[in-house]
Amino acid sequence: MSEGVASLGADAELSMLREMAASFAAGELLRGREEADRFPFSPLPLATLEKAHGLGLFSLTLPEELGGGGRGTEALALLLEAIAEIDASLGGVIFVNALAQEICLRSGAREALKGLVEAESAAQALIAFPAWDDPRFTAPTVCAVERDGGWSLEGKAEYVALSGLARRALIPAVTSKGGISFYLVGLRGEGVAVSDPVVSLGLRACPCHDLQLSGAEAAPVGEEARGKEAYEEAYIRMLPAAAALSAGILRGSLREALDYVRQRRQGGRLIADWSEVRMILAGMAAADQEAEMLVRGACRAVEEGGPGWRLAVRAASLRAMDLACEATTDGIQLLGGNGYMVEYHQEKRFRDSRQVQALMGTQDMKRQEYARLLLAEESPEWGRDVC
Amino acid sequence: MRKSGRGSLIGEYPAFDDIYCGLRALRRMPKAVIGETEKAVELARRFNREVVRPRALELDLRKQKDPDYLPWDLVREANRWGFYTMFIPRIFGGKGVNFPALSCVLEELASGCTGIANLVGVHYLGVATLCASWNIRLMNRVMRDTVAGYRSGEPCLISLAVTEPDAGTDVEEVELVRKARVSCHARRVKGGYVVNGRKIFISNGHLSTWHMLIAYEDLKRPQSTTVMLAVRNGTPGFSFGRQEHKMGQKACPASELIFEDCFVPDENVCVSAEQSAGLLGGAVEDAIMQVIDYVVSGSRAGVGAFGTGVARGAFEEALHYAASTEVEGKPLINHEWAQCLLAEMYKNVAVSRLTYMETNYANSLYGMFKVLNYRPVFYLFKYLPRPVIDRVIRPLLDLDAVTRLFRKIYFDWQPPPFTRRTSGWASLSKFAATDAGVRNCQLALELMGRAGLRHDGGVEKHLRDSKLLQIYEGTNQLNRLNLFKCLIAPSVPGAVVFDE
Repeated sequence: MSEGVASLGADAELSMLREMAASFAAGELLRGREEADRFPFSPLPLATLEKAHGLGLFSLTLPEELGGGGRGTEALALLLEAIAEIDASLGGVIFVNALAQEICLRSGAREALKGLVEAESAAQALIAFPAWDDPRFTAPTVCAVERDGGWSLEGKAEYVALSGLARRALIPAVTSKGGISFYLVGLRGEGVAVSDPVVSLGLRACPCHDLQLSGAEAAPVGEEARGKEAYEEAYIRMLPAAAALSAGILRGSLREALDYVRQRRQGGRLIADWSEVRMILAGMAAADQEAEMLVRGACRAVEEGGPGWRLAVRAASLRAMDLACEATTDGIQLLGGNGYMVEYHQEKRFRDSRQVQALMGTQDMKRQEYARLLLAEESPEWGRDVC
Repeated sequence: MRKSGRGSLIGEYPAFDDIYCGLRALRRMPKAVIGETEKAVELARRFNREVVRPRALELDLRKQKDPDYLPWDLVREANRWGFYTMFIPRIFGGKGVNFPALSCVLEELASGCTGIANLVGVHYLGVATLCASWNIRLMNRVMRDTVAGYRSGEPCLISLAVTEPDAGTDVEEVELVRKARVSCHARRVKGGYVVNGRKIFISNGHLSTWHMLIAYEDLKRPQSTTVMLAVRNGTPGFSFGRQEHKMGQKACPASELIFEDCFVPDENVCVSAEQSAGLLGGAVEDAIMQVIDYVVSGSRAGVGAFGTGVARGAFEEALHYAASTEVEGKPLINHEWAQCLLAEMYKNVAVSRLTYMETNYANSLYGMFKVLNYRPVFYLFKYLPRPVIDRVIRPLLDLDAVTRLFRKIYFDWQPPPFTRRTSGWASLSKFAATDAGVRNCQLALELMGRAGLRHDGGVEKHLRDSKLLQIYEGTNQLNRLNLFKCLIAPSVPGAVVFDE
């Protein structure tokens, strides 16, 4: 592995990380983002993924003893925010992979993550995962069966992100014990059929496929039927990272809008001089600041803990995701017809913000869960449905 | 707030006539309008079931793969079903279904696919523009071309070409066009105009045969030198440029039209600056604004119907999802919060529909449809035998006197409050319904998560399609200003619009 983020040392170097990410995004993503976003009707930017792997962007949060960067949520959030400002798709790839790694770590399955940093290719380093589902609320559609001392998977796993790229996927499944268990399955092995890419609203260069599993050999990750707990621990640590993607998209939209309104004239004056345009701009800029503060606050809550930290992380992350959706809608509006055209990238941000908002389950289920936890703070019986 | 001028409490702000258009219109509405509308909606639903829904996603994907693809097969299908002649008055050879029913048809189609709904709706934007000039001879010629296209199976659509590279929102308002950077120049020459310039974002451009072109005799005085010309494909100097690459509404191409020394003969001039000067006692700018108001009062109701349709499409997808998905051990549809959410979405659809219906009532009473929806005229045109129309009415349409009569009715005898009312309501419907459309798509996504993100789920396409509705036919910001100008400012002494 080349010198990259893993070689960074103290927390003071977080700003260096951000600069490195911004420079990587400007150098590697800016030019090709429009073409990459046409996937599956254009090829994926595989060379960029290899460079990201070389820089250690896929192992930033892996523990140092596994060769990773050993960084926490804040570093991951900074990285994702900087990348998403230019093109959120690579941010999506990093996020999905980090989420899968985090579940493995929280399940105590460190063995499964060995050798990722030294992997020869991005495909070998990445782990696919159905990152748009929350298995705590939507029962998995895959069953795990123990056979001859091993496990095999049966069923259909829908919308598994990175399954067209990675060699392995982390799949939630139910066993005869009930509950949720996680399994790693080789995507090129017998009994695994990977569908054509699913065309999605956003993050198109972070592709998803459906998997048909028919007796596919799989390795258990963590204890059987203890997946919910592991997922919850990974979920709460990854929420700020998802929110950071939203914040980055929002900032990109704001910057594009600012550039545009300073140049475009309508009715004989710059549109920046229209007071209604300024109202919209002010709303976007305030949302940008708010989202950044929310993400920082959520990251601190994850890393410092303290009373009510889980609630704080949920509230901040949900809000940041909503803000990005609202602001990117305005981001198109400020560019008028041009904002709706692919050349200006505002429409991509509009789509990407929604795609990110739905990471790790629907926004409405996130709200429901948040309310139950809030009520459970005072009266534990209200939170009985939440693990 | 001062009184609106009627001198009684009923005329005080908000004036009774401004806020109860439907109540007044119902009394005058021909009963047959209901049956006609019902039949039109039924046909649209059948078209949705047999053509739109089975093809919408496939067409959207095809266009993503090949951005230059043109959906001729769908246009031919819509032509075969009679959608391009359905609302053309019978005196011009069409089927003569009442124009307000178009909005209901557009809602139906947009609930399946807003892009395909545009393939029909934008044609009538062209028709409405042609009609707003009240050049009866030219209306007759162009619309009969469309009718001939229906009979031959070769569609003959009409587009409207207004937007230019440096002038979008501001060409929909005389006060703004005064300062706009317009570049489409129409030079007066003997026997016509020579046009040079480019138009962009022209919906259905590549698919249309006739183009209602807005150009300017003097680029430094566009507000008083606007001309409207009808340009047919094949005219020397006219060509198509690229198609824009849009986020959604992919079925409907957004085209570039190029005019290079394109000669347009006098017979194809819908309304010239010179003719405008003869209207409204010589107030050229007012006459041009009147034309714009007639067009947008109709077209913005149509966009309101698109917004209603896409809001309904998203609602229907969300409803289906909620009914077929289990969350936490019970059907999502039986979660109280989901029921409230679906009720909210239903409300967004219903309220949006009310706004375009109210706009249509206003148009029927005070706007473009007022003559055709006047009961004796309505029944005369509805039941007059086709041979009588062809032998008696049709020759009259070529007489200058008929054009003069219609222009008298629609310009000189049109009281300003009538125009304010129709234009204000049209703007209200446009931004209320299209905001609701985007909102419902967002709500559906938040409910459905990944099921909504997948192209094969349909909702993500609705969301992509919906966003354009907040932009074209004047951005929603411009429409808010227009509502203020039409329905609020007249009651506030000293209120000035578009003069910041």
